[in-house]
Amino acid sequence: MDNNKKYWKGLEELDRTPEFVEKNKNEFAEPIPIEEILSGDGLSAKTPRRDFLKALGFGVGAVTLAACQRVPVHKSIPYLIKPEEVTPGVANYYSSTYEGQAILVKTREGRPIKVEGNPNDVFAKGGLSAQAQASVLDLYDVTRLKDPKLNGSDAGWSEVDAFVIKELAAIKAAGKNIRLVTSTIHSPSTLAVIADFIKQYPTAKHITYDAVSYTGIIQANQNSFGKAVLPHYNFDKADVIVSFGADFLGTWISGEEFTRQYVSNRNNKSLESKKMSRHIQFESGMSLTGTNADNRFPIKPSEEGIAIISLYNAISGTTLPGSKKLANKSVDNAITIVAKELVAAKGKALVVAGSNDVATQVLVNAINSLLGSYGTTIDLDNPSKQYAGNDAEFVEFVHELGRGEVAAALFLNVNPAYDYFKGKEFKDALSKVRLKLSFSDHDDETAQLSNVVAPNHHYLESWGDANAVEGYYTVIQPTINPVYNTRQAEHSLLVWAENPVKDYYTYVRNTWNNGLLAKGGLSGQKGWETLLQTGMINTPANTAGSYTFSRDLNAVAQTILTHSASLVAGDGKYELQVYQSQAIGDGKRANNPWLQELPDPVSKVTWDNFAAISVADIKKLKLQEGDVIRVEANGYTVDLPVLAQPGQAQGTISIAVGYGRTNAGPVGDNVGKNAYPFYSFRNGTFQTTAIASFTDTGIKSPLAQTQTHHSYEGRSVIREANFTEYKKNPATHSGNEGGHKDYNKESLWDDHDRPVYDWVMAIDLNACTGCGACVVACNAENNIPVVGKDEVRRRREMHWIRIDRYYSYQEEGKSESITEEYEIDKLSNFDRVTVVHQPMLCQHCDHAPCETVCPVLATVHSSEGLNQMAYNRCVGTRYCANNCPYKVRRFNWFNYWNDSRFDNYLNNEHTQLVLNPDVVTRFRGVMEKCSMCVQRIQAGKLKAKIDKRPLKDGEVKMACQQTCSANAIVFGNRNDPNSEVSKALKSERTYYVLEELNVQPGIGYQVKVRNVSELEA
Amino acid sequence: MASHSESIIREPLITGKNITYGQITDDILRPVENMPGKAWWIGFSVASLGALLWVVSISYTFWFGIGSWGLNKTVGWAWDITGFVWWVGIGHAGTLISAVLLLFRQNWRNSINRSAEAMTIFAVICAATYIGAHMGRPWMALYSLPLPNQYGSLWVNFNSPLIWDVFAISTYFSVSLVFWYTGLLPDMASIRDRATGLRRRIYSVASFGWTGSVKTWQRFETVSLILAGLSTPLVLSVHTIVSMDFATSLEPGWHTTIFPPYFVAGAIFSGFAMVQTLLLVTRKVLGLENYITMFHIESMNKIILVTGSVVGVAYITEFFIAYYSGGEYEQYTFLNRFIGPYWWAACMMYGCNVLMTQMMWSKKVRTNIPISWVLSIIVNIGMWFERFVIIVTSLHRDYLPSSWAMFYPTWVDVGVFVGSIGIFFTMFLLFIRVMPSVAIAEVKLLLKSASEQAKKKQIAEGHLEPAHVEFYKDNLIKFDSIDHSEYEKA
Repeated sequence: MDNNKKYWKGLEELDRTPEFVEKNKNEFAEPIPIEEILSGDGLSAKTPRRDFLKALGFGVGAVTLAACQRVPVHKSIPYLIKPEEVTPGVANYYSSTYEGQAILVKTREGRPIKVEGNPNDVFAKGGLSAQAQASVLDLYDVTRLKDPKLNGSDAGWSEVDAFVIKELAAIKAAGKNIRLVTSTIHSPSTLAVIADFIKQYPTAKHITYDAVSYTGIIQANQNSFGKAVLPHYNFDKADVIVSFGADFLGTWISGEEFTRQYVSNRNNKSLESKKMSRHIQFESGMSLTGTNADNRFPIKPSEEGIAIISLYNAISGTTLPGSKKLANKSVDNAITIVAKELVAAKGKALVVAGSNDVATQVLVNAINSLLGSYGTTIDLDNPSKQYAGNDAEFVEFVHELGRGEVAAALFLNVNPAYDYFKGKEFKDALSKVRLKLSFSDHDDETAQLSNVVAPNHHYLESWGDANAVEGYYTVIQPTINPVYNTRQAEHSLLVWAENPVKDYYTYVRNTWNNGLLAKGGLSGQKGWETLLQTGMINTPANTAGSYTFSRDLNAVAQTILTHSASLVAGDGKYELQVYQSQAIGDGKRANNPWLQELPDPVSKVTWDNFAAISVADIKKLKLQEGDVIRVEANGYTVDLPVLAQPGQAQGTISIAVGYGRTNAGPVGDNVGKNAYPFYSFRNGTFQTTAIASFTDTGIKSPLAQTQTHHSYEGRSVIREANFTEYKKNPATHSGNEGGHKDYNKESLWDDHDRPVYDWVMAIDLNACTGCGACVVACNAENNIPVVGKDEVRRRREMHWIRIDRYYSYQEEGKSESITEEYEIDKLSNFDRVTVVHQPMLCQHCDHAPCETVCPVLATVHSSEGLNQMAYNRCVGTRYCANNCPYKVRRFNWFNYWNDSRFDNYLNNEHTQLVLNPDVVTRFRGVMEKCSMCVQRIQAGKLKAKIDKRPLKDGEVKMACQQTCSANAIVFGNRNDPNSEVSKALKSERTYYVLEELNVQPGIGYQVKVRNVSELEA
Repeated sequence: MASHSESIIREPLITGKNITYGQITDDILRPVENMPGKAWWIGFSVASLGALLWVVSISYTFWFGIGSWGLNKTVGWAWDITGFVWWVGIGHAGTLISAVLLLFRQNWRNSINRSAEAMTIFAVICAATYIGAHMGRPWMALYSLPLPNQYGSLWVNFNSPLIWDVFAISTYFSVSLVFWYTGLLPDMASIRDRATGLRRRIYSVASFGWTGSVKTWQRFETVSLILAGLSTPLVLSVHTIVSMDFATSLEPGWHTTIFPPYFVAGAIFSGFAMVQTLLLVTRKVLGLENYITMFHIESMNKIILVTGSVVGVAYITEFFIAYYSGGEYEQYTFLNRFIGPYWWAACMMYGCNVLMTQMMWSKKVRTNIPISWVLSIIVNIGMWFERFVIIVTSLHRDYLPSSWAMFYPTWVDVGVFVGSIGIFFTMFLLFIRVMPSVAIAEVKLLLKSASEQAKKKQIAEGHLEPAHVEFYKDNLIKFDSIDHSEYEKA
């Protein structure tokens, strides 16, 4: 059907009005101004449409250009041709030698980043001192000399060589004296180089000068037995050890070696066989060794000689002329009992004295001879060559200088302008010398006075060898190309001596080919390569002969008594004793921030030396710790803050040398005050004692101590027993008298799963001597920032491991210790002090209080029993640190790596090369703490995986454990019942610090046992 | 309304003669509708300088690191968290007054709830700044929120009291803000109705189109009641959770179960003290004596006395439990408060909070304005020291004596704290210029039933027990805003 309906849109259409018809003609009812836009105003508008793309293009281009600011380009250079031995990410180890001790140097991508002990080293069997650990940082010291210097300005080596050779030739021609002054050298090659040099310049003479010398012992052995040697001591063979001021676990001769020996008679293994040595220490200041002694008696320097004479009398049953009783009754008593014990332990006894006085050492020799020590605890036939300095020779050299008899003075590894006690006399005398030459790698005090400075390599850049003890030869090989334009001193000497062999490497090779290699049964290139791998040749030791002392002692006793009498201080005067601090030693490494920030093991002071005075004297004088006093002795004065030292003999002051450098570098300069000028020269040796007086300056200089509360308040964090009790019941005082308690019995929580590994640690408080090497090892391994003196004062040091040191006191006639502050305050006698050291680090608690409180899960538990930190997640609320009962968490208060206000000497790209690339550095605002060297655990697991075998016990070592000469730290897997650590933790002596909180700490401590004898009556 | 009169024994909540609804509006809006006076300008200048100090100190901290403060390895919190808890505590009075007292039909709250709530908001803002500022990496603060992320199931640690804190504080802040602003709506409308031009437009937006119809009022009342119900648990929960920051830890001196009630009481204590401090000044300067009367002042003093005594009992309990527990470390911590190096802080805490407030048992003290004002400040000094003692004195000597240390504040610590007070007062002073500092609508509710003039009318009408009237008149003696001559005549 058709539809004819019509629809219309509006009435207009229906009506067909004229307007409608008109409008309907066009497509659009309203006219659209297309034409207008295309031709007229549209294009001539301000921003015409067609210009849109132009504007857009220009705009984007301009913005892009503006954004193209030059960013600094850091070129990373890949190994285009990869050295065969270097795999990025895999460390290489090279054997070398640090001061005669065999070491392994860890290098990553061609740069040495850590020094570790060589497990076959005869001294510490893999242990290493804090100084050795820190030595790697010196390599990256940007203040080392970058070029040789001639008359104060940088010069090339050829100019220096030309100048020196010309001068030496002229001096030789004139027949004038040449003196080569060095510290002790035991390197066969270096000694040969010096011999060659002297051959070329016959007027030359080699003088050995040690700032801290053992001339007294060497001379005494010459006098007593006709052998001018430093004996090799065997503390491991001694059941009774008596030391008069010898800090043999610390700074005396060979601390690491003696620590290993000493601890072997006191550690868990020894205790389990019911054996423990007895150690009695008589000393003025509190030394590291004194803190470990079973009985310790403070004596004044003036009493030391008398005490040794008394001991001789008691042992020999004779009376030396002029002998007198000690004024101090308890010491006098002790000497009598000690004598009996020594005699009872004949053949297994050892008496040592720290004095550098020949007469004293002769008397000690006599005592040791009576005790049958020669051939057992003292070995004169395999002598130590670690120190050979001759004090008298050096003093004579200074006199020669003064008389103008020396035309050339060459200084190798010595710095007499700083450490000679008459520094001014030396400087004045030196000015008369025509050619003054220093091999120092720093522009140090002596280099400043020299007209030629021929900077030596750092030992990690050097070739060489060492023979620190008879029959033990080690090799030094470089682990990096020389960083600066330095040259090895031996090389320089060879050049100046116009030796046919100028290259020192070839020279060393020749030395070894001519005899040394053969001693180890090696030969040729292959033998040399074997040597480079093993690092050492250890020839069989000579049989230690037994020596009998047979000289007359009357004169000796007389000398000692006169000397002692001259040390007696009058009213208001004090007896001053100068010693070496554990961290800084003789001051050669004063520019090392790791060492400056290492707390002194006894005082816990960093970045300073101080005047240690007994607590009783401090109270008497109404001084406060940190008050600066002016100490005057031998016509020399220093201003030093005072420290109240428990155990310091009353009426004495102890001051450490090694501080107060003026040209050590930015770290070491003006840290503390120089105490060397308190030395004196007497009877052919340097003496370390003097009579001093002091006045209060009224100035205060608070000490930067990492621990300011020194008593453990009777808390069970420290558990001690004496050996008699221990023998009856090994669990005594450990809290395990009824077996190990299970605090976790009623726990509400499920334990963490630890399917394969459960990493834990055992620390033997009886083995730990508190030396602090672990602290520096941890610094190096874990990139721990140095914060500086002010920040330590604010109690913000960053060390992941610290050693807590607590004092406790005994009252006369009472056996129990006084450990609480308010009781200690009431004491008047602070002489009977006992000390305990406790390494404290993250306990990796299984119920970690830090983990539950972190709002962002930045610290969590691993499936291997570790408490881990995710730095990137940390927002820095510090709640974890507050909730840590052990206070081992460390917060990055500032951006220590990159904050110009805290120049901790790592704020430059070069020094940062020392960083361990396996450990990330931490930004400010995040928390950090001991990770249980998780990078080492991972590396160990990975290695085992590649070898398709399970990880072996002992394969992974913590940095702290590895460097510990005392083997106080054992680390391992608790899931393996046969692991070393599992066995150690099962010991009756094992307890956990704050175990009653049931935080389930992962580090077990073993009770400190003292072999206390009833010496005091 | 007039038919529902209040008992004559109750003290009047509004004083003054011939008060009308119009006059209430005029009186309360006087500071909002006029240029500020000299006193305000002086106050504002000082407060702004304080705020500036805050900006400088916080910027310094952000630029260099938390090390700018005096904290150390042993004392990881000190002035920061002390300030945080102090401000949160102060921020408690507002909600208590507006919510709990509303539910309990305590009509006297009507005159003070507005300022108290505003104070709450500002105090919580001050507290919140510390949450950000005390972080080592505040730019990573978002990690403390349970946000979806690319790390799979990486959540916040719901075990951590700090996370509870984040939720508690943010909830409290948002609810308080909504409650406060809801109450403001009719008053904003009043301002709008009296204003012209731009001002009118601003207040028009701010009043959310309030019409004043019966329906609006009805909904307003309902919302207020619901919000009051919601806020009431918050009064208890916020400081309970803040106290758990301490109570759930292992630190001796922190690890105690008494903390939640102890902290809540302390918070109300300090909050009321702060309200008192502010209102005594505001009342005088803004001439609001007729609306904030001696009755209000005395009531608040009574609450301060009660909560102060609760806190005192908590202190004693703490000491008893430390003794009774036999816990070696806990015992030492409490002994250390008195014999340790921070003994003076403990003396400030116990002295200011307990000993001084006990003076309020005396009516003379409660009704003496200068003494009340000084006491209210002493209370907040004491409460600051309470937190300082709990935080610093506990931390500085905990388990291992080797780590015992002292805390010394730096200028930045002081700057941040003093600055936060500046921020607080800046905000408060701005508030009284732009918003009515007393709830106009709610005060008007009282005019016909609980005002002095209504009571006078009642007396005039007779039908009252003369003894009751005498009692009423006796009570009026303490009022400083009443013309007493009138009553002597009567």
